[in-house]
Amino acid sequence: MGIAEATAVAREQTRARYPDAEGYTERDGVRLFWERYGDGERTVFLLPTWSIVHSRFWKAQIPYLTRHYRVLTFDGRGNGRSDRPEPAAAYSEREFAADSLAVMEATATRRAVLVSLSCGALWSTLLAAEHPDRVDGLVYLGPAVGLAPPHPERAVHSFLEPLDTDEGWAKYNQHYWLRHWEEFLEYFFSRCLTEPHSTKQREDCVGWALEMAPETLIAAELGLLSCGLESFERQCHRVRCPTLVIHGDEDAIRPHAQGAALAAATRGRLVTLAGSGHLPQARDPVKVNLLLREFVESIAGRAR
Amino acid sequence: MRAREPDTDGYVDRDGFKLHWEVFGDGEPTLLLLPAWTVVHARFWKAQVPYLARHFRVVTYDGPGNGRSDRPEAPAPYRYEVQGRSVLAVLDATGTDRAVLVSLSEGAQWALWAAAHHPDRVLGNVFICPSMDLELGNEMRSEPFDEPYTSTDGWARYNRHYWLEHWEEFLEFFFSQSFTEPHSTKQTEDCVGWGLETTPQVVIARERAPCPHEATLRGWCARVRRPVMVIHGDEDEISPPRCGAALARATGGALVVLEGAGHIPNARDPVKVNLLVREFAESLSGRA
Repeated sequence: MGIAEATAVAREQTRARYPDAEGYTERDGVRLFWERYGDGERTVFLLPTWSIVHSRFWKAQIPYLTRHYRVLTFDGRGNGRSDRPEPAAAYSEREFAADSLAVMEATATRRAVLVSLSCGALWSTLLAAEHPDRVDGLVYLGPAVGLAPPHPERAVHSFLEPLDTDEGWAKYNQHYWLRHWEEFLEYFFSRCLTEPHSTKQREDCVGWALEMAPETLIAAELGLLSCGLESFERQCHRVRCPTLVIHGDEDAIRPHAQGAALAAATRGRLVTLAGSGHLPQARDPVKVNLLLREFVESIAGRAR
Repeated sequence: MRAREPDTDGYVDRDGFKLHWEVFGDGEPTLLLLPAWTVVHARFWKAQVPYLARHFRVVTYDGPGNGRSDRPEAPAPYRYEVQGRSVLAVLDATGTDRAVLVSLSEGAQWALWAAAHHPDRVLGNVFICPSMDLELGNEMRSEPFDEPYTSTDGWARYNRHYWLEHWEEFLEFFFSQSFTEPHSTKQTEDCVGWGLETTPQVVIARERAPCPHEATLRGWCARVRRPVMVIHGDEDEISPPRCGAALARATGGALVVLEGAGHIPNARDPVKVNLLVREFAESLSGRA
């Protein structure tokens, strides 16, 4: 990519819906950029996921949900307009959970339905377990949780050690990222978006990822590697609110079995999207939006 | 699978060939979405039908040579007067007194013919990226269609022999030129698929039927009394935007230029096109 193109990527595209309020909140010296849309009675909080993308990955949800609800989102630390702390410890699931709570405080949000994608499941579960009074419900999209084994091809290569190959998932390696950042991103999102006709979604995701540096994503990856399975299972069992898991049956990043196990562990509903990959909110937005709305309405209908 | 299935469908018998029509919804007025070039059939309106049928009665039909219509291998059914009369035949067959005619590309020729010759049946015309011999100048494709081809570059593929040997490759090329917008893989795949439902022999027969000349077209334009809207992509590589501008001028119609759009904006910018068509149709009946 030439310089002109890189600049074009950094310039934000026009939006279907602009926020009604935006601002920064600071926690332990890390500034977090949040946006609020609409003013419905119920709040839907669209959480950050892995720092490889920022809050625009919810772009196909925000305009629709905002017609019905108050919608809150923020850039996870490491990307977008939020700060990019250097230490790996700054990217643990606890930090993301505390950031999310800080954004709720900053926007005077008493309670919300939390919607997470991929490893966002780690912090949304933690919040629901530890702050049940703030969480009305949880929706998980393609959750990245260790409750079932990973895809075998993703368990072969070391992330930390230099490799003598860069075929396929061997690209998921810190040394490769430093050498071939954009190639890694192209590969990674081609595996996220396995549906045909995903060129626009891939281009968007690669563009957002290019707003951060590989060093930051390495720190974020190391921060998450330290998450313990046992403590996560314990948190799942503490979740008392309604949950909905949406998982594509062709998710090449995280097996459908992980979503199924999470639905079971939280006693929630599992919706399997036939033919979907890891980012159904981008690739099947109408289906996902209708499921989100149905879920929020079902909670609104029940007494607290 | 379709987002919206027709409420009724049927065939109309023309002189020796049958055309398949479909009707959706029951609003007012009726919009007739015309066929275009033989390489596609009525499904190229797939992004219009579900939306427009919520507000209007929508009639579509497959032109001769594709879809569920017959596939004549003689030129007569493809002649513009015959295509024009087919518009009327479909209106009659579906019990439609009057309709707004919505056309794409060379469908404009038949919609314009109908508006000029049967003004009592036409409420108005929407021409999307019209393709006709208006102000084309010398930019017409010059490679000989019937001679053995000597090159397979670009428009040299617009060649009878190439079509017979490389039909799918031609379709891939043609639709790559039709969809100049990025991220058009789905629309391209759809169109190539429809093109494969017919044969090069059929489309060659269509090529044998002459198109109306500029003087003829201008005569028709002068007779149009009902409202006209022309929608044209400013990056249309098939029919130059100045053709749409000329049609709007000659009919006293409105011109809407779509920035960055190619030749088939109804597929690539359906929301924009649907809203424009709805606004136009509502302004007519207003209604009138």
